[in-house]
Amino acid sequence: MSYTIIEVCNGCGACKRLCPANAISGTQKSLHVIDGSLCIECGACGRVCPKQAVKDSLGRICTAVKKSEWEKPVFDHKKCNSCVICIDACPTGCLAMSGAMGKDKHGKPYMKDDKACIGCGFCAAECPVDAITMAKPAAKAA
Amino acid sequence: MGKGYMGKVLFVDLSKGDFKEETIPDEVYEKYLSGTGLAAYLLYNRIPAGADALGPENIFGLMSGLLTGTGSLFTGRWMAVGKSPLTGGWGDANCGGQFSPAIKRAGYDGILFTGISEKPVYLYIGEGKMELRDASGLWGKDAVETEEMLLEECGHDAKVACIGPAGEKLSLIAGICNDKGRIAARSGLGAVMGSKKLKAVVLDGCRRIPVADRDEMKNLSKICSKWVGMQPPFVPGNMTGFIGAFMRILPTQMAQDGMLYKVMLRKWGTVSMNQVSAEMGDSPIKNWSGSNKDFGMSKSKYVNPDVYTDCEMVKYHCYSCPLGCGGICKMTGKFSETHKPEYESVLALGGLCMNEDSDSIFYMNELLNRAGMDTISAGGTAAFAIECYERGILTKDETDGLELKWGNTAAIVSLIEKMIKREGIGDLLADGSKVASQKIGKGSERYAIHAGGQELAMHDGRGDPGFGLHYSVDPTPGRHTIGAWLYYEMFQLWKKVKSLPAVKPLYHKDAKYKADEEKAIWSNACSKFMNVLNGSGVCMFGAFIGIKRTPTFDWLNAATGWNKSPEDYMEIGERIQTLKQQFNIKHGIEPKSFKANDRSLGIPPLLEGANKGRTVEIDKLMKDYWTAFGWDPETGKPKGETLAKLGIE
Ligand code: SF4
Ligand code: SF4
Ligand code: SF4
Repeated sequence: MSYTIIEVCNGCGACKRLCPANAISGTQKSLHVIDGSLCIECGACGRVCPKQAVKDSLGRICTAVKKSEWEKPVFDHKKCNSCVICIDACPTGCLAMSGAMGKDKHGKPYMKDDKACIGCGFCAAECPVDAITMAKPAAKAA
Repeated sequence: MGKGYMGKVLFVDLSKGDFKEETIPDEVYEKYLSGTGLAAYLLYNRIPAGADALGPENIFGLMSGLLTGTGSLFTGRWMAVGKSPLTGGWGDANCGGQFSPAIKRAGYDGILFTGISEKPVYLYIGEGKMELRDASGLWGKDAVETEEMLLEECGHDAKVACIGPAGEKLSLIAGICNDKGRIAARSGLGAVMGSKKLKAVVLDGCRRIPVADRDEMKNLSKICSKWVGMQPPFVPGNMTGFIGAFMRILPTQMAQDGMLYKVMLRKWGTVSMNQVSAEMGDSPIKNWSGSNKDFGMSKSKYVNPDVYTDCEMVKYHCYSCPLGCGGICKMTGKFSETHKPEYESVLALGGLCMNEDSDSIFYMNELLNRAGMDTISAGGTAAFAIECYERGILTKDETDGLELKWGNTAAIVSLIEKMIKREGIGDLLADGSKVASQKIGKGSERYAIHAGGQELAMHDGRGDPGFGLHYSVDPTPGRHTIGAWLYYEMFQLWKKVKSLPAVKPLYHKDAKYKADEEKAIWSNACSKFMNVLNGSGVCMFGAFIGIKRTPTFDWLNAATGWNKSPEDYMEIGERIQTLKQQFNIKHGIEPKSFKANDRSLGIPPLLEGANKGRTVEIDKLMKDYWTAFGWDPETGKPKGETLAKLGIE
């Protein structure tokens, strides 16, 4: 299963720059193509495409979302068991483990590189104890 | 729908420099799982009989586990596999860290190497690229330097497995490192990687790992996580010796529940056992000739567990581990930090050599990790050399002037440095005690404490005969991670596998030392189950809290969508163990020759200490083990009917 790009693509290259799997190829101003064997279905291309040229793996046209409104992980450190799974699950490497938390020497995950986060939710999906929820930054502040 | 495994392996021919993907049929996973099971299946037919373990015909592999990356816990072990140059038979070694999921994220359940490269290379997979790259500039660098240079070159999200100078110099006790010095140390597979001129494997893929029922995986993981999180306050580290002494004195024993060990592991790590083990006769002392009388609490207090946690800056968690037995420790001197030494390393470089200097152990730990040399075998070989020196078998001329006396810290450190460099006496010892004793002769063979060429781990069969048996019968001999009576108690398999007998909650200690029928059932169960764990990538420490709390069988069903019974999984383990034994037979090994060194089995028995007067009934135990597996009781070779029953061709 894979995302696909349809004819309306104007070759702006936004998706290609963002794709964490290097699955998208194409030259400026020409139709881009997704290599289905590389796509990990993170949806970043669909969220960023200004031309609604990306279809998800079920064939639905994706709608662009403003970057500032992309959902980001929120960690519940009480539930978290420091298993590091989320760090590994993240395709962009934007999470990291903290050092000792006061007396507790078990580190906890945190967002190290907010700009790199594509809001894919893989971290939350893979967390074995559901210690991560995805939320829009605005909702997070509230 | 996913099945937990990637369904493919990659073969890299280092002689030709080409790559070949191979799709593995579902039936193979159903028969062998992934990890070492899949590896045994792949290597059994492809490595020709009698192949030189350090030659082009040997196949070296890095494998992930079936459960790795599926939302299960404790499943971050990766495995190195190949024909062992140390034992001449099946070789595997496993390690935690962050490398196991990286194999699957690169798209494979395993990456296997054939041939020999002309010049040093490393394999890179990531960003849609797959290539062998020049590693000349890395050759000679230690494992930490190598990893740092590769991350600089390939990006800091990449995961690296590499060898250090020990593997490059083909030391038969070399391993493979990841995460800056965690090492898959046993079976000498670092030398195989070195022989292939393969310095490192760098993986930076981001494939998703498919799972049949992720919700069920999480339900099971949440229960496991809760058990692991229970952490009552505990006694100070310098009191742990008294627990061991108490256990030694009592005539009876309570069946061990791994939850107690879990609490100690979470607080201190494996070093929690340093003093307990020394006191109760689990740790071999003075090259297996001594006892707690020689290394009592006044000596072992220098390696009490608090020594290690006092300088621990942060706990270290392997991938998917809720426990965190590891740690990163601050150091002074040449190195600024090290992975918290493990019990095995501390006792091999400590009590086994009568060395009570904790600083030197930190130093040698980091040195060996960087060199990619097995601390168990290095310590065991050092102890062997000391005994030879003390007995006049080795003279000062032959030791490059080192006064190799029990507990001479400076000399022990120099010796380890020389072994890493293969310099002088170090060159003689760098292939382990068996090879060294064959070169030295003069009756030194008696003091080389190994099984099938591999130094025994720091658990004494005279205290728990299960260790002595498993050291002697496993296709990869001499290891402590394959079975023991203690493990049978802690795995609590009878709670799932109804045919297995429960251990009595309280029993007289004498019962441990009787080679009755039940022991064959226990040891067979341990071997089968360990193969299930190593096919799945499960950490043994996770399994120690019992099959209900770390639900390996249930995770396997939820990850794959299979509906196998615990008995079905135990049969898979039986198949893998039998295939590995058959691998050894194919390569000309007589199973009897793997019997551990006499002294380690209490032949003759110790005259004092915790294990005074004890002899392991090894011949009977081995025979019973073989019989229960359907292997010939006289030769240890799997019978034709057993192979047929298990579907091994
Ligand atoms: S869905 Fe993600 S991985 Fe697939 S092409 Fe789009 S950006 Fe790349
Ligand atoms: S949503 Fe999570 S996994 Fe995805 S990019 Fe952001 S932090 Fe990484
Ligand atoms: S995956 Fe979940 S439990 Fe594990 S470290 Fe991340 S947030 Fe914590």
